[in-house]
Amino acid sequence: MSECGWLSDRIPAVALGRAEWTQQEVQHLSECRACQQEWEVVRAASRLGESLVPAADPEATAASVLHRLRRNREAGRRRRGAWGFAGFAAAAAVVAALWTGGADRQLDRGPEGASVVAGQLAIPLPELEILQPAELDSVLQMLDEPSAAAASADEPDLRDLNSDELERVLDSWEG
Amino acid sequence: MPGPPKPDTTTDPALVAAYRSGDERAAAELVRRHAGPLGRFLYSLGAEREDLDDLIQETLFRAFRRVESWRGGASFRSWLLAIGSNLLRDQVRKRRGKLVSLEDREIADGADPHADLAAVETGDRVREGLARLPRLQREVFILRAQEGSDYGEIAAVLGTTPGAARVHYHHAVKRLKELVR
Repeated sequence: MSECGWLSDRIPAVALGRAEWTQQEVQHLSECRACQQEWEVVRAASRLGESLVPAADPEATAASVLHRLRRNREAGRRRRGAWGFAGFAAAAAVVAALWTGGADRQLDRGPEGASVVAGQLAIPLPELEILQPAELDSVLQMLDEPSAAAASADEPDLRDLNSDELERVLDSWEG
Repeated sequence: MPGPPKPDTTTDPALVAAYRSGDERAAAELVRRHAGPLGRFLYSLGAEREDLDDLIQETLFRAFRRVESWRGGASFRSWLLAIGSNLLRDQVRKRRGKLVSLEDREIADGADPHADLAAVETGDRVREGLARLPRLQREVFILRAQEGSDYGEIAAVLGTTPGAARVHYHHAVKRLKELVR
């Protein structure tokens, strides 16, 4: 490495006061215009904005940043809670949808049975958001009960049907 | 009665670990250590004086919010400066590349107009020149000139190689020398 290259690598450390020139380097610097210019540029850059330092009060900045971080953490917790609840509501909606599908298959029993089932399923899902966890459990239980009943009632009936009746059931499902 | 532990005697990695464990005093100490150099760095990169406090605060906020992503490959300060640099770049982009007008810049309060004139003029020219450099050249140069970072660390922070960082630095020096001449 040339002497200029060597000096160039050392300039930032000396400009920042972390190192000192050797006699040999001082000698080179006094004779080399290119190195003098580099020294001037780097030293000026190392001091840029020095007068601005007191402008930002570190204590106030720290307090403000910590305050924002606390708020951000709280908001994060609320968001996570909301997402958890949304997931729960979505799960409830899926259960309801599946159950509704099961109820559709009961339409061959006649419109009265279907309307009763529909009435049981008339749970306005958007309103799930205002329910407490215990209330949501109740909703889920309510959804589970008729579903189980429907399943148990459905299977023997279908098994009892002959092929013509099953055909009609299928036709009615397909519309 | 023994007071709380003195965080200012602790290393940055220890302070970061303490903050991750919930010690807010550690974060406050990190802010005290790095807010000033961060401000100077952003100013050198062309941030406007009146934007500095907001930029510093936003940089620190973003850094602490995702402090888990600091792995210690580069120093905490270098990592912080890189976040600040990205933030400043976004701001400049939003303002459609508006650069700082050095004519509008006030000379530091209390500066001796005669003794410091040459230094202030050189500083102004350097800052003006920095604003004209490509981003990587500018950032490499400032990290080296203000932080004394070595090329390995600069490369880790800026996502380049040490060799490329060295080349960027020398390009920056060459162009700045032409301006100051």
